Amino acid sequence: MPILEASSLSKRFRRPDKESGFKGAVKHLMQRKYKNFTAVDSIDLQIEPGEAVAYVGPNGAGKSTTVKLLTGILKPSDGTVRVMGRDPHVERVANAHDIGVLFGQRTQLWWDLPVEESLKLLKHMYGVSDADYKARLEKFDELLNLGEYLPALARTLSLGQRMRADLACALIHAPKMVYLDEPTIGLDISVKDRLRAFLRQIVDDGTTLLLTSHDLADIEEVCERIVVIDEGKIAYDGPIEELKAHYITTKAVNLVLAEPADVPALAEKFPDYDWAAGEAASEVTVTYEPARFSTAEVLGDLTAQLLPRDLSLSEPSIEDVIRRLYAGELTK
Amino acid sequence: MSHTFAMDRAFAAIALRRKLAYKLHWVFGIVLGGAGLLVGLAMWSNLLGSGEIAGYDWDAMRAYLIIGFFTATIAFGGEDWLMADRILDGLIAVDLTKPVDFQRARAAEFMGALVSTVPTAVFGTVGAWLLFRPPGPVTPLAGALTAVSILLILPLSFGITYLSILVCFWTKRYLGIMWLREALLSFFSGMMIPLALMPNWMQVVAWSMPFAHFTTTPANIYLGRVDTFGALGLIAAEIAWVVGLWFAGRLIFKRAIKKVTVHGG
Repeated sequence: MPILEASSLSKRFRRPDKESGFKGAVKHLMQRKYKNFTAVDSIDLQIEPGEAVAYVGPNGAGKSTTVKLLTGILKPSDGTVRVMGRDPHVERVANAHDIGVLFGQRTQLWWDLPVEESLKLLKHMYGVSDADYKARLEKFDELLNLGEYLPALARTLSLGQRMRADLACALIHAPKMVYLDEPTIGLDISVKDRLRAFLRQIVDDGTTLLLTSHDLADIEEVCERIVVIDEGKIAYDGPIEELKAHYITTKAVNLVLAEPADVPALAEKFPDYDWAAGEAASEVTVTYEPARFSTAEVLGDLTAQLLPRDLSLSEPSIEDVIRRLYAGELTK
Repeated sequence: MSHTFAMDRAFAAIALRRKLAYKLHWVFGIVLGGAGLLVGLAMWSNLLGSGEIAGYDWDAMRAYLIIGFFTATIAFGGEDWLMADRILDGLIAVDLTKPVDFQRARAAEFMGALVSTVPTAVFGTVGAWLLFRPPGPVTPLAGALTAVSILLILPLSFGITYLSILVCFWTKRYLGIMWLREALLSFFSGMMIPLALMPNWMQVVAWSMPFAHFTTTPANIYLGRVDTFGALGLIAAEIAWVVGLWFAGRLIFKRAIKKVTVHGG
């Protein structure tokens, strides 16, 4: 049974339709006009317990609005949401007990107090026992190095520290369902790596995760399933590997040859592959279709005949696929 | 049950710590809190001399002003901007993901923040009492009922503040609402001038709103301007306002959260 089920979920907002400038403002005051804007357009989504789902899309695609609908913050214009059998907007307080939410751009720390004070208040909110609170803080310290800045005022933290503290706030009650809205926004590589490892760990421990991010490495490292949303509609929903298999139709081998590469001659000699010159004269990139040739076949063919000094395989990039999905070049 | 109250206590403690986090601001509040009272006492002392206006002689006015100072400290001492900012900045989104009753949590915070006004209220009132020696309550019962009416100002103040903050869901701004609330409260409570000095129709307007209970009700009970039955009636009206505002807050919040937009991440 799904832990989360959204059916024909839509959210429309009304926006003032104002002309620019003073004249526009006065005109709007006298004659108010509004435009309806559909942020989420009839989406269907089911998430099974223990799944880690990436929810991605370009800016303004409706990701954050969806998260707000799923967490009960916003009331849907149409459609239904059930999280653990509850309507999160109607049964907001009961639902909030079982979920953890992090909005990367909004902190839940009390800005002028030490981090520890915020966590203690959350302990009371969720009725976390002293023993569980202590054990979870120890775990957060181990995985996120939280301990060193527990006594620091929230407003004095760096962005990375603030995000780690916010993550602890979202997880202090060991929620069954976690929504993370851009948890790695603005973080440096090392903090991102640490956060991703932590997220992988909580998913392995059985937590269900819905993650929105613009950072595709977050998605590949943490999630197995990806839902792509564009203009409020779901453009793709399926396993990440399937997305790659469907849409990544070519792979590449980068070769460093013993002498300068004659690309036209190579293309003539190996007509089944596409050839392109590399950065250096002796470097060349060979593109092939994995549907037609296995990687072993291609490598065997090239190494036997060209005796390269070095070679590397280009891993398929999901980034390119998603970019093409956003651009409407691909459809499911 | 203990968990429920532990949460209220935790919210109150957090709000108090936030107030105390800005120590210099807090200390200035204590030091300067009594200045308005001293100005009022000096002004009314000159105005009244040995006579009386609208039934207030200098004795009664001293007690009235000190009660007014005490109740004004409570009325204006709670935390309103932090509440309003949460709505205006979109942090309400975070609040709505927490397993707490929004109104009750804000009430606990409000009460916690009010604790920070205790030094101002106590030092100011005790200091003024010792300096100006106002008369005591007209009877011990009147004294007790005055205390009850002052205690009821705590939830009453929250009710009015909370309702005014919920208006931010529609207005998207708070400053004007705050000015309006404070102006209405200062004027119709009798903090600026006793209601007895106002024209009859204005007194009717004042008593048809909750503001009069902030200063005029406790002062009238204390000074014996109403008998025991009248005092109980005023307290009953105060309780009715507290309950009414609480449920009005619930009703408006239900409608307000349908207005939540919180665009962007």
